[in-house]
Amino acid sequence: MKALLIEDDQTIAEFISNGLCEAGFIVKHANNGIDGLDLALNDSFDIGIIDIMLPQLDGLTIIEKMRSNKINIPVIILSAKRSVDDRIKGLQQGGDDYLTKPFSFSELLARIRALLRRASNVTETSTLTVADLSIDLLARTVSRAGKSIVLQPKEFALLEYLMRNQGHIVSKTMIMERVWNYNFDPHTNVVEARISKLREKIDKNTSLLLIHTVRGLGYVLKVPDQANFQ
Amino acid sequence: MKLPGTLSFRLMLWYTTAFVLFLVLSLITAYFSMNSVLNYRIDEDLHEDILEFRELYTSEGLRRVQTEIQREIKSGNADNIFFRLLTLDGKVIFSSDLSSWKNLTSNEQPFISASTLPALETISLESKESSTRIIYDVIGPDIILHIGESVEEKEELMAIFFTLFITLFVVALPAASFIGWLMSHKAVRGIKEISQIAANIQGGHLDQRVIVSQHGDEIKQLADTFNAMLDRIKDLVIELQEMTDNIAHDLRSPLARIRALSEGVLCSDKSLGDESRAAISSTIEESDHLLQMINATLDIADARAGLADGSNTPVNISQLAVDACELFEALAEQKHVKLRCIIDIDCIVQGNNHYLQRMYANLLDNAIKYTPENGEVNVSLTCNDNSTIIVVEDTGIGIPKSDLDKIFDRFFRSDQSRSLQGCGMGLSFVQAVVEGHGGNIHVDSTLGRGSSFTINLPSIRVS
Repeated sequence: MKALLIEDDQTIAEFISNGLCEAGFIVKHANNGIDGLDLALNDSFDIGIIDIMLPQLDGLTIIEKMRSNKINIPVIILSAKRSVDDRIKGLQQGGDDYLTKPFSFSELLARIRALLRRASNVTETSTLTVADLSIDLLARTVSRAGKSIVLQPKEFALLEYLMRNQGHIVSKTMIMERVWNYNFDPHTNVVEARISKLREKIDKNTSLLLIHTVRGLGYVLKVPDQANFQ
Repeated sequence: MKLPGTLSFRLMLWYTTAFVLFLVLSLITAYFSMNSVLNYRIDEDLHEDILEFRELYTSEGLRRVQTEIQREIKSGNADNIFFRLLTLDGKVIFSSDLSSWKNLTSNEQPFISASTLPALETISLESKESSTRIIYDVIGPDIILHIGESVEEKEELMAIFFTLFITLFVVALPAASFIGWLMSHKAVRGIKEISQIAANIQGGHLDQRVIVSQHGDEIKQLADTFNAMLDRIKDLVIELQEMTDNIAHDLRSPLARIRALSEGVLCSDKSLGDESRAAISSTIEESDHLLQMINATLDIADARAGLADGSNTPVNISQLAVDACELFEALAEQKHVKLRCIIDIDCIVQGNNHYLQRMYANLLDNAIKYTPENGEVNVSLTCNDNSTIIVVEDTGIGIPKSDLDKIFDRFFRSDQSRSLQGCGMGLSFVQAVVEGHGGNIHVDSTLGRGSSFTINLPSIRVS
């Protein structure tokens, strides 16, 4: 996987590219808008990570120019502004995502993975399976080791989200955003409480625990043996 | 009885009072002038009669005078006029028919000399309803003519005038009030427009301006001043907005760097000791906490500034309440707190979906946080065409009376809450959102028994 990073803040840029390298990405970095656009137009990437406020050419203009040149790679916009600009909202509907600074690397990585998965156009399956847990997205049923489990609609949505990101950490903010449509972190343990409740139903009467808490980062659904989570 | 204290009512009152006073004065003046004119005319007539008879006496003698008197009486009315001829010492020489003029001579004094004549007098006779005007004057040597005329006709005329004036007054009073009402309304219309716009601006519509139509110079001046002030406020708000955005950006960038550096070290350097790891973790946590505080402050400022940005839409606040209850249900269950929600469906509020969502989250979070095990949290939402009322009640620790008016202050934390997580911004944010949406929030609390937050938001009608 090849990532394009356009970010003028040296510290942040290093933080992102180190992290991405460790996660197995090849990263090309530009520290101003003109160079960034140049890279975007002349090289091919799988994903773009672009800051909004850049010297010479701002991030949104770069994205617009990329789109007009038929470069349709998914893009994560980095913004230091809290309030989300309407233009960014527009882009978000086009399949891109945004992240406000500061952010944790796991959050960025989870979002990158989500975008890549969406972009890869995997044919939509109607069932998701992890170990002996499987959910049917059409019938909206869940079964663990052949026994069906009854879930409330939001619990189902939460489980579906975790299953779709199996093996990858999803943060509290992402869960709030995707499952409850709250784009803020309530800073309390509502998510923790929901996860515990879900865990009770899913991981009850079994020694194979699937839902795990990763301190400070979020939650992950995985078979414990594949221990090196990323 | 309490009278309305509005300016238009007072203007109307003043106008009506002034008009009525003026009208009454004019009518009274007219009445009395007319009266004196008519009196003067009667006296003139009497004088003329004397002159005529004097000439007649001089040219044709006493007998001719008597014949003329008889003729006058016959042609006129003996009830309205009488004539007498007297000598200077009061002896009656001749008199017309005095049958309807009883007691006429009861207090008649003999005349001392001709120099006191002519004498005019108004007398009232028991036999007559109206008074009588009399004159004594000499018409020849030792001959005095005494004429009396009833003023009945004049009095009848004055009575008609009196009725007319009273009618005029009765008709003019409501007419004056009505005109006064019209004029006062015209006068205050400009002021009303301005206050209406001022009320809109309170809700965050800083773009509105007073349109100056013709309301007179003072109103126009007021409107101009008001508009100029609005321009200034708008500039300041924009400036403030830019400044807060800049501060947010300026603080966030170094914070982002601190966080990135710490996270980078924590994840890449496997040789770190436990102590260093703990220190770096704390750095990340503290920068998150600082960020949370910066965000909360800015969010409160945004919510207070109103809903000027494009995020002002009709929001189904019932759905938000249902979602919030659903979201917090598990948390309440975990704490063994009973969460009960009674929600009216399809209540619509004009506002910012995101802020209202957080308002619920903060309220529920607070209520559950401060309610001990086996307690209850009740949420209710009711609405009608005008207002939406949200009540969040808990059986929690309560708020001391001394703290009640401080709980909405930024960074305020009561002694009981200090041990729990949070930064003292939740209720400030709730208050800012409620007020930004044109509503109000009220809290009741009994220490040890629980608290109840009541929010009143203006509803909008669903068409």
